[in-house]
Amino acid sequence: MPNPAWTASGGAPAQSEGGNKAVQQFFAILKDSYREAVDGFVIYVMLGLSAVLIAIAASMSFTPVPPEDAFSAIVPQFNLIVPDKGRSSAISLEDRNTFKASDVETAGGGYKLRLTVTATTERSREFDPVEAAGGKSDRPKGDSFRSAVARWSAVTGETVRVDEKGKVNKNKGAKGIDVAVPTQFTVAEQRAVTDGQMEEFLKSQFVMHADMSATVTRSKSGEEPVYAFDVTTTGGSAVKGWPHATKLFFGAATLADNAPLGGTLWLIEDVVISRFGGTFTLLIGMIITSFFIPNMLRKGSVDLLISKPVSRSKLLVFKYIGGLTFMFLVTAFTVGGIWFVLAVRSGFWDPSFLVAIPVLTFTFAILYALSTLTATFTRSAIAAMLISIGFAFFLFVFGQIKAASDSDKVEHPNSEPSFLQTYVVDLGHDALPRTRELDQLVRRAISSGTLTPSARKLLIRTEDTPSLAGTFGMSLFHIAWMLGVSCWWFSRRDY
Amino acid sequence: MAVIETKDLWKTYGRIEALKGVSLRVEKGQIYGLLGQNGAGKTTLIKILLGIVQLTHGEASLFSAPAGDVGVRRRVGYLPEDHAFPNYHTGYSLMDFYGSLYGVSAAERAKRIPDTLEQVGIAGRMHYKIKTYSKGMKQRLGIAQALMHEPDLIILDEPTDGVDPMGRKEIRELMAVLKEKGHTIFLNSHLLGEVELICDRVAILQQGKLVREGTIAELTKTKGTFILGLISGQVFPVDAVTKLGFAVRPVPDSAGHFEIVLNDGQTIEPVMKLLTTSGLTVTHIVEKKQSLEDVFMTTVEGAEPGVDRKRRRARPVGGGE
Ligand SMILES: Nc1ncnc2c1ncn2[C@@H]1O[C@H](COP(=O)(O)OP(=O)(O)OP(=O)(O)O)[C@@H](O)[C@H]1O
Ligand SMILES: [Mg+2]
Repeated sequence: MPNPAWTASGGAPAQSEGGNKAVQQFFAILKDSYREAVDGFVIYVMLGLSAVLIAIAASMSFTPVPPEDAFSAIVPQFNLIVPDKGRSSAISLEDRNTFKASDVETAGGGYKLRLTVTATTERSREFDPVEAAGGKSDRPKGDSFRSAVARWSAVTGETVRVDEKGKVNKNKGAKGIDVAVPTQFTVAEQRAVTDGQMEEFLKSQFVMHADMSATVTRSKSGEEPVYAFDVTTTGGSAVKGWPHATKLFFGAATLADNAPLGGTLWLIEDVVISRFGGTFTLLIGMIITSFFIPNMLRKGSVDLLISKPVSRSKLLVFKYIGGLTFMFLVTAFTVGGIWFVLAVRSGFWDPSFLVAIPVLTFTFAILYALSTLTATFTRSAIAAMLISIGFAFFLFVFGQIKAASDSDKVEHPNSEPSFLQTYVVDLGHDALPRTRELDQLVRRAISSGTLTPSARKLLIRTEDTPSLAGTFGMSLFHIAWMLGVSCWWFSRRDY
Repeated sequence: MAVIETKDLWKTYGRIEALKGVSLRVEKGQIYGLLGQNGAGKTTLIKILLGIVQLTHGEASLFSAPAGDVGVRRRVGYLPEDHAFPNYHTGYSLMDFYGSLYGVSAAERAKRIPDTLEQVGIAGRMHYKIKTYSKGMKQRLGIAQALMHEPDLIILDEPTDGVDPMGRKEIRELMAVLKEKGHTIFLNSHLLGEVELICDRVAILQQGKLVREGTIAELTKTKGTFILGLISGQVFPVDAVTKLGFAVRPVPDSAGHFEIVLNDGQTIEPVMKLLTTSGLTVTHIVEKKQSLEDVFMTTVEGAEPGVDRKRRRARPVGGGE
């Protein structure tokens, strides 16, 4: 029997459950997109590949080297001093101190060890007759360890930029790493370095080079220029800087015998998965989803849908979200799966890699909006696919050009940027969706999650961090206008 | 309140005029048939009602709401011609999808889907992918999806297209049941015999114009034509009857039957009297009824004869491109 609400005169049915109905319609369309996606074979190829990747990741083994060896590998790096937050970004290299770890034993959740620093005595500038005569002077002396700590504690002075070839480049904007020019401290200044400062310094070095928190206490044994410290670290071996033997295929292939865990994970996550895997996932995602909207608009199908009590804009937007959800799930499965097995296998649970899931989905959202726009105008899956993939490629190339143009500007700060740079590259960058910045966002997250601060300093070129509002805002703006135009066109067309 | 109402409805696709001022009205509870040649504009009219195409000029309304109104579509079920269901669905999942769009609750869907598919005779295959269905099965599924949310108005564009004779009969019976329940049905069909059997009213479109409209009885009412036959061996008095003022002609391929056409106000009475007084024995007397097909043919032929013929030779499928 007809519903009494419908037969009541006056047209539209009671709208009491309007919101509920919209939710039901939304989920119906999501479910429909899901059915469509799993109907083809491409999705199985894709999930299969993801599963293979996850299986490969699961076949990796990360075996920490024994504590004695690990600390022997970590502490010599303490000659490299990487500034803490808030200080200059210049690093400094001290090469006259020898750091040695001994008596390593497990203690609680961490380790106990003796750290010995053998420094080089610094010859005082003042003339010392006793020493000149070959005797042992009582005068206080400075040494390389004291001056290293003093330099570490003080504000960095002059710096130079060292380029990739190891040459000093006078130009401030050049590519490379800033290195502090060693400041000379007088003996008196060196003598003023307290035990507390030394302990703080070493503590900081454990964080910088191994991401290990430690308590350091100077022990009175050892005579300067030999210093001894009692160190207790917390946390086990699954820290960024702990050297691990990494093997693939359940031990069949050795990737590294003795490489820091974080560095290995960074290589896998950033280079292998985020770059190649991400590009591949986006590509396949675009291919699969480019059929969604043209199929919906096919003659004979579209009348069935648009005769339902859903507005056309809603249909299109829901369908678009359906595509995004699909991509989100595939990315979440792949990235999440790989992250999970790597974490289980290595014991290193850092969630920053998971940032790739929303960011990849967001990148996809930009491209899929273009695909939707093309599809509503042409009703052709091939056109949607080619145009959106072509655009992705264009954005990638444009991003490279922008990067080249930026570093050119830095290297030639005195020459006027060319017309092309100002009006095409820079304006283009401001106006286009920011896919390159999104990519960098993921890479930054991965590197800060896996690399020790010192490794990050050496491996990753610091760049200005673009504002999140700009990155997402501009991209959202593009998504909005493309969907808006699609909806407008779809709503006024005859089918 | 009219279920469907159009007033001076025009639709042009570029240079093609598909509808040229159509006004019609369908009341609640009717089964209304829309007839016309290919390209006459039947599908166009339906698409305007559902908001699939936009009208160029004039008015069209469903349940007093302007055609294309989103909310009012909840009360309408629609079977398009040439439908292509997404073939990744099974019959059941398609019904479930459309049912959700119509706002039918999950519990209701679980109950109504098997029932409706049972009604159209494909419940046994409901969990198979649509791509495995035959043409007629898809057509039945199409009808089912137009019915499942119990719409007040059911619009069917060639509902029996591709359906076997048994199926057609079942569909006719189904429509009768639906009408009984108070649903209004609006359909397009080329099968005039069927339309005649089930429709209350029909309209004939001819090149975008409404040329005839009325109940089946009104349209098929003859001017008064009788077929008479005499016992074998007797000769029909043609001249005598003609003298009485009736048009007489022999019925071809019959056993000597004659057709007598009455003029307005005349009855067959004088002819019968004449025959009896002449000592002739009438063995066969039938009042000739026009079939809907006859009406359709004469209407369509009579509409714009010259133009239509020429056009049809040049463009076999009614003016399309
Ligand atoms: N989308 C369209 N674009 C251009 N012309 C169209 C379109 N749809 C229909 N037409 C034209 O409008 C006219 C009416 O078409 P319509 O489909 O309404 O005919 P019909 O009566 O349903 O015919 P049939 O019996 O063949 O289904 C035809 O001349 C057709 O070519
Ligand atoms: Mg038609």
